[in-house]
Amino acid sequence: MIWIGDVLVSLGEGGVYNERMLGSARIWEPYRSKLAAFYHVGKGVELVPSLRVLYLGAANGTTVSHVADYCEVVYAVEFAPRPMQDLIEVARRRRNVIPIMADATRPETYAPLVEAVDLVYQDVAQPDQASIAIRNCVFLKPGGYLILMLKTRSVDVRKDPLIVFDETLLALEEAGFTVQESVWLAPYHQDHAAIICVKPEKPGE
Amino acid sequence: MQSYWFGDVSEGRCSPVAVDIVAIVNRVLSLSTQMDAFIPPDWQQAVSCGVCSDRADYLVRLQEVCIAAAERSVREHYAGKDAELLQMVRTLDEMDTVINLLSERAADWYMVRHPAFSRKYRRTPSHILVRTIREKSRGALGKVAGEIEQLAETRTALAKEVSARANDVMPNTSALIGGLVAARLMAHAGGLLPLSRLPASAIQVLGARTALFSHLKTHTPSPKHGIIFQHRRVHNAPRDLRGRVARVLAGKLAIAARLDYFRGITAPEFLEQAQNSIDTAGKGNGL
Repeated sequence: MIWIGDVLVSLGEGGVYNERMLGSARIWEPYRSKLAAFYHVGKGVELVPSLRVLYLGAANGTTVSHVADYCEVVYAVEFAPRPMQDLIEVARRRRNVIPIMADATRPETYAPLVEAVDLVYQDVAQPDQASIAIRNCVFLKPGGYLILMLKTRSVDVRKDPLIVFDETLLALEEAGFTVQESVWLAPYHQDHAAIICVKPEKPGE
Repeated sequence: MQSYWFGDVSEGRCSPVAVDIVAIVNRVLSLSTQMDAFIPPDWQQAVSCGVCSDRADYLVRLQEVCIAAAERSVREHYAGKDAELLQMVRTLDEMDTVINLLSERAADWYMVRHPAFSRKYRRTPSHILVRTIREKSRGALGKVAGEIEQLAETRTALAKEVSARANDVMPNTSALIGGLVAARLMAHAGGLLPLSRLPASAIQVLGARTALFSHLKTHTPSPKHGIIFQHRRVHNAPRDLRGRVARVLAGKLAIAARLDYFRGITAPEFLEQAQNSIDTAGKGNGL
C-alpha cells in the first residue's frame, strides 16, 4: 500500500468524487471508505498490480476507483440502478473496472463474465452476508483472499454486534475458510468489522 | 459445457457467439449458469475463440460488453411507469416538509419584528399568515414569504400531477384509496412490484415504522394504520372501528396492487365488492 506519511493514497486519475489530492496522489479517506479504514486499523491484504478482484456491493464506485488504482482488474457488482449510473461513469474513465449490474446473492447471473480472481471483496448491506461470500468464492482461486466487510446492523439490528461477528466467523470457518485477521473498524465506522479469510489450496483440507 | 460471455467451451474447444455487441449483450443478460459444475472463464479460451487477441484486448472487449449490458439494465429499470411517479411523490413529500419548516421560520422572524403579534386565538391558516407576512414585510423576509407561496403553488400543481399519474399507473389502488395516498404507498414500498409483493398486514402499517418497531421491541400496542390513515374512511371511522377498517382496507389494497401490477387495468367487479366490504367494516356490525 502507498502511504505518504500517515495518509493512505492511491495513484490514478483524480476527480472521481472530488477526493482531496496530495500532490498527484488521491487521498483514500478512512472515514469514507471501509477498506481504507481497514488499512488504518489492521493489516489488510496488500494490493498489488497483478491482482484480479471481484468486488461485491460496488455502490457508486468510490472505493472501487481506489482498488482499481492498485490492481489489474476489478469486477464490480452492484444491484441498484442509481449507484450503477455512477459506477458506469467510473468504468468509462478506468479501463480496468468491469461494471456488472446484478444481485450478489445470485452469482449464476454473472458467472459467465467473471474469471478466477485473487481477491473477493464484499461490502453489502444484506442479512446473509456470510452465505453470499461463500457462494461467491467459486470465483476465488485456491489460496486467494476474501475480505468481508461485515455490517452487523444489516444482519440483525436487534442482535449484539459481537454475537453477529462470532456467528459470521463460525460460518466462514465451517465453509472451509481460514480466518487470517478480523478487526472492528472503530473509530472510523461503527458496528462494522473486517474479516480476512484464505481459501484453502485444495478443497476439503 | 461451459457458457461464457464470449462463447461456449466444451472439452477444451470453444465455439464463439456473434461478434456483434448487441447479440453478446443479449446473451449475457439471458445466460443462467449451473453453479455446481461452473468453472470460471479464462481469457486464453477467448483468444482461442477468436474473440480477442491478447489479455488487454480481452479486458477491453469485456468492459465494452459489460458497460452496454449495465446501461441497458439501468434503462429497463427506469422504463417502468412507476419509476417517475416514485420520484414525484418523494419530491412532493419533501416539498411539504420544506414549506412547513420555512413557514414556521418566517413566522418566528415576523414575531421578532412585531413584538405584539401572536397567533393565539386567531386560527389563521399557515398560508394566510405567509401572505400577510409577504404583504407587510420589507426586504428579505417579504421575499422569503413570497418564495414560500410560490413553492406552495408548485406543490399544488405537483400534487395534481401525482394524483393523475397514479390513476393511470395504479388504477385499482387509486380507486380504493385515492391517487395521492396510493402513490405514497407505492413510494414507501419502493415501487409497484415491491408493493404488489407485500402482504396486507405490511401495507396496513406501511409508514408507521417507529410504532411498529417499538411494538416489536417493547410491547407497546401495535400500530393500527400507517399511511392509509390518510384515507377518509380510516380517519373518519369511529375510534373503536378504525383498526377494523384499516385491516379490511389493507386487505383489499393488497389485492388491488397485484391487479395493478399484473393486469394494469381497472377491475370493476373487484372494486365494487371491495368498496362494499370496506363500507360494511366501517358500519360496525356484520363481519
